[in-house]
Amino acid sequence: MPVRTPHFPDLLFGSAARLRRWEGALMGLLEAHGYRELHPSLVLREALPEGTLRFFDGDDLVALRWDFTVALAGLLARGFPAPPARVSYAGAVFRRPVQPWEAVERFEVGCERIQPEGESSSEADLELARLLMAIPGVLGLKSAILHLGHAALVRRPLEAEGLFGDLADAVVVALSRRAPHRVREALDGHPAAQRLTAHAEALLAELDGPATLEALQSSPYAELLKADRDHMDRALKALLPILPPNLELRVDLADVAGLGFYTGPTLRLWAPGAQQELAAGGRYDRLFPDLGRPWQAAGFCVRLSRLLDLAETRPDLFEPLP
Amino acid sequence: MTHQTLLIAFPKGRLGDELVPKLVGTPLALDANALKSRVLRIPTATPGVAALLLKGADLPRYVAAGVAQLGIVGSDTLDEMDMDLLELADLGFGACRLSLCAQTGVTLDHLRAKPHLRLATKFPKATEAWLTREGLTAELVPLSSSAELAPLLGLADAIVDLVQTGGTLKAHGLVETLVLGRSSARLVAARGAYLSEPKRLRPLAELLIAAFRATP
Repeated sequence: MPVRTPHFPDLLFGSAARLRRWEGALMGLLEAHGYRELHPSLVLREALPEGTLRFFDGDDLVALRWDFTVALAGLLARGFPAPPARVSYAGAVFRRPVQPWEAVERFEVGCERIQPEGESSSEADLELARLLMAIPGVLGLKSAILHLGHAALVRRPLEAEGLFGDLADAVVVALSRRAPHRVREALDGHPAAQRLTAHAEALLAELDGPATLEALQSSPYAELLKADRDHMDRALKALLPILPPNLELRVDLADVAGLGFYTGPTLRLWAPGAQQELAAGGRYDRLFPDLGRPWQAAGFCVRLSRLLDLAETRPDLFEPLP
Repeated sequence: MTHQTLLIAFPKGRLGDELVPKLVGTPLALDANALKSRVLRIPTATPGVAALLLKGADLPRYVAAGVAQLGIVGSDTLDEMDMDLLELADLGFGACRLSLCAQTGVTLDHLRAKPHLRLATKFPKATEAWLTREGLTAELVPLSSSAELAPLLGLADAIVDLVQTGGTLKAHGLVETLVLGRSSARLVAARGAYLSEPKRLRPLAELLIAAFRATP
């Protein structure tokens, strides 16, 4: 149930300075890799989803910017005949919180890597992963964990079995809770129950290093998912040799957060002991085609508000400020 | 207590009464002296791991917020609250039914035929889901305890409540009219803690699963 009491934190001197420094450092990193900043308007007039902060501008219902990726996609699809390859952004988004500890106003820095449809996306995915791997160092995080997932590992078997709507949602919720027994309960009586439960157990078997991919060999959908597994395997082989010493790489096969949005590899950055992910992203190839543009895209967003909270509650996780 | 201390949230009440004896002799056995006192944070036999004793309805909130890293709670409570946490295992104990119960002689057809059905419950979400499936409407009377009294005193036509042995129902002249669902104890984990520190939490989770599944 959405929390109705808005929480708008004021940033006092230390946090405000940290926010300014982090924003500058992250935008500098992105700029050095060819990303150019776009700043979509704070007020949006598109179809307004649930959870946005809405108000009337005269007779028009408008909302404060709730998501940079959506706002940028609208701007690019409307105004650009060909996509800029690399876009960055920084600023605040406003959403009603689902959890009571979340703020309404959230500061973010992020990037989008956009290509015409049909181009190979492997190098773009690796580029984003490499950038995300550099971020703990930029933020002064002493150690971090990068979770690598793939939306297709969950989506394809459900689609292959003709599972859509409420039943598919129930399976996804069960996987999100990492609860194979809930998957079994949700599919009780369905002809594909045994296969899909076995697949869920394979997805949830491990949360560890590269060997986790091998768990999928026991899945009834191992063959269907061969191309996606190979894609992850290639990514791991490219990323592991350049892994910074303070970063651990984990394969998270059951990552279903944002499954309705992501279509390919997903990336999530954690710090040991953090209650929420600090950055998240992945490939979302349906976004631009839905806006009438034959482009594919991937990106990630660093959640600076969560990092500021973490710096307050767990300063031991960060290098001391210079 | 530092952030290095791992906290496991255990429920007070019916589930708690069942689970505390199951931990005796395990590395997570609760300190007997602390249990006799009124403190709600209890040391375990493993240094650096403590237990919190919480009301079932509050427990998911502590785990979802990451205050406690692991917890044990009934699936009925989880389904009602829908908090963002991980549910690592069905521990199998504390099994009970979520049932529609009415006074002896009142059938499901009687209840369905009522133009203004009143249902007293601690489980409004599960009750609403059943009403939607059945295409029925009803006035929900929210209660937090002793729902069995509601039909007797005319506060409601029937109740939706947890039934384990049926003894309390029988004592109040009520019978189970329909089983809406089943509940059992679940091992839950804080999403952040589990995903960011699986090597720290998994051994404890496995210990709890082994302790509860091994005992009848």
